[in-house]
Amino acid sequence: MTGGHRRILVVEDDPETADQLVEQLTTSGYQVDLAASGNEALSRGAACDYAVITIDRMLPDIDGIAVMRQLRDDGIAAPFLIISALGEVDDRVRGLRAGGDDYLVKPFSFVELLARVEALGRRSDTIVKETILRVGDLAVDLVSRTASRRGKEILLLPREFQLLEYMVRNEGRIVSRAMLLQQIWDLHFDPSTNIIDVYVGRVRRKVDGQQAYPLIHTVRGIGYCLRAPG
Amino acid sequence: MLLAKTLTSSTFRLALIAIGTFGVIVSAIFSYVYLSTSSYVRSRSDRAIMTEYSSLKSAYERSGRDGLIGLLQQRIADGNLADNVYLLADSSSARLAGNLGAWPSAATAADGWIEFRAPEPLPNTTMPPLLRAMSGTFPGGDRLLVGRDISELDGFADQIKTAVISCVVLIFALAGVASILVTRRTVGRIEQINATSRAIMQSGLDRRIPLRGSHDEWDRVAENLNLMLDRIETLVGEVKQVSDNVAHDLRTPLTRMRGRLERAYHGQRVGEVDQSLIGDTIADLDAVLRMFASITRIAQIETQARMDAFRTVNLVDIASEVVELYDAAAEQDGTSLTIAGDRELLVTGDRDLIFDAIANLVDNALKHGRAGGRVIVRNENLDGGPVISIADDGPGIPLEERERVFKRFYRIEHSRYTSGNGLGLSLVAAVARLHEARIEMLDNAPGLKVRLRFSPPAG
Repeated sequence: MTGGHRRILVVEDDPETADQLVEQLTTSGYQVDLAASGNEALSRGAACDYAVITIDRMLPDIDGIAVMRQLRDDGIAAPFLIISALGEVDDRVRGLRAGGDDYLVKPFSFVELLARVEALGRRSDTIVKETILRVGDLAVDLVSRTASRRGKEILLLPREFQLLEYMVRNEGRIVSRAMLLQQIWDLHFDPSTNIIDVYVGRVRRKVDGQQAYPLIHTVRGIGYCLRAPG
Repeated sequence: MLLAKTLTSSTFRLALIAIGTFGVIVSAIFSYVYLSTSSYVRSRSDRAIMTEYSSLKSAYERSGRDGLIGLLQQRIADGNLADNVYLLADSSSARLAGNLGAWPSAATAADGWIEFRAPEPLPNTTMPPLLRAMSGTFPGGDRLLVGRDISELDGFADQIKTAVISCVVLIFALAGVASILVTRRTVGRIEQINATSRAIMQSGLDRRIPLRGSHDEWDRVAENLNLMLDRIETLVGEVKQVSDNVAHDLRTPLTRMRGRLERAYHGQRVGEVDQSLIGDTIADLDAVLRMFASITRIAQIETQARMDAFRTVNLVDIASEVVELYDAAAEQDGTSLTIAGDRELLVTGDRDLIFDAIANLVDNALKHGRAGGRVIVRNENLDGGPVISIADDGPGIPLEERERVFKRFYRIEHSRYTSGNGLGLSLVAAVARLHEARIEMLDNAPGLKVRLRFSPPAG
């Protein structure tokens, strides 16, 4: 990852939220530019190559989605993260995920925002060509759709394999519950139960049960992270 | 008061316009009848006079003055012609023969038709009669006048005139009274509705418009307004209940958060304690935010903002995904969660919403069913429509509670301390309404069976 790819444009008109966003993203190692209006976003977005552009849906001058369209027409390929209030989540916003962009519903946690930005920024980076993914002693065979630890096969249902594959692909990064719901079940709402935790719990028992060390870790209040020890 | 309202009411004004128009038409018709009748009667009598005059004139020409005098005397003596008057005079208007005393002054100068009052009564009348007569001058200078008593004809015309005028007056009077009565009735009913509306604005939604039991259109209007008021009263009650419940559900986590923060504010800064305190507070805040999200989501579904996302979807696919998602949770409770029935059931709808609704029903079945029991999700075609049913073998829901569980924040145990925010079934109900699906709650003996009955996809 080059420095240019860690550069993010934040478009937010509320000064306090903007400060918080800039601070959080800077702490996470991003180089952050701030635009306080749609017009500013248009000029900044066209002037520099950003890894991700986060943009509030409700800007004082131009609709966030309109800014995105305009920049796309100008040939800007950076993925967008639209931040929208729940009442404004319409089909245009829901459709973003299909186009390689993403949206986040207000209010959100910064950890969730970081996870989304990470996921969006990575998309343009690397395309994994291997057929077997490895994390520690876990091997995930993408062709035969099987997983094993220390050569011993783990019996997984198709959906459980999908979940494990997604976590392995995001090794070392936080995946939120909402991201799992979207990626594995294609659901764009929060079922407001702990059902995901129960589901991940079962996968975790299968993957980490009676092993030398755990791979799947809970990140409190947000989701999970799969990583090898050390 | 009521009379004043009656007189200023628009119904009464309309009635007046109708009466006026109708009255003018009736008067015109009656005047025509009167005029044509009286002119017909008069022309008949004129023809009779003319015929008599001609026959006397030819008698004069045939047999001279003396012959006519004889004939006139004959006629006067004839009782059948008692209404007729005759007068033969010489060129100086001096009477030669006839039953009229003198040549009438009106006919002295010229010949033709005249009407005049006789100077003295005729033999068969007490009053001097009104006469209509025709006079003419013969070539010899003698003048003949033939006339008739038309007092009776005049009386007849007067009678018709009186009848016509009294008819018109009567019609106007009756129509006026009728319109006042009808308007009074209308104004009275409207006043009742107005009074009830005012009472509702002043005191409360429990007032209703009284019915008269007449089953007329006013009773129907009143009935419908009363039904509308019932519905509004229910809704207002629900809103109040919901806001009470929201307040209650918010108070608990907010009080906890406040207490925690206050203690931390006054206490010492200890990194580890602060960390866990902040974590707990964020978790509580998340619960509050989730509740708001659920309310917004239900409101959004209820305003039908998502109809544009409707596609033809396979209900069984969605149900299978839900069952798969909840499989782990069921396993944890030792409950068996299975799917049964058809392999394909097509419905028109929003996949996310249907998923959410089924997920809520399965979630409820797992939570409220018997631990270690069975939950069966069955897809089938019932009476031509796709139906999904979620059945558990737990304690079920008493019959009288079944309607209420779909209300926002309703919880059977009336306790607000179990998990969940009581919005799940309201969401199911909202999704069902949006999809025009019916929800049925059946006894699974033992347990509860909830059915979602969709309408078949169009086309």
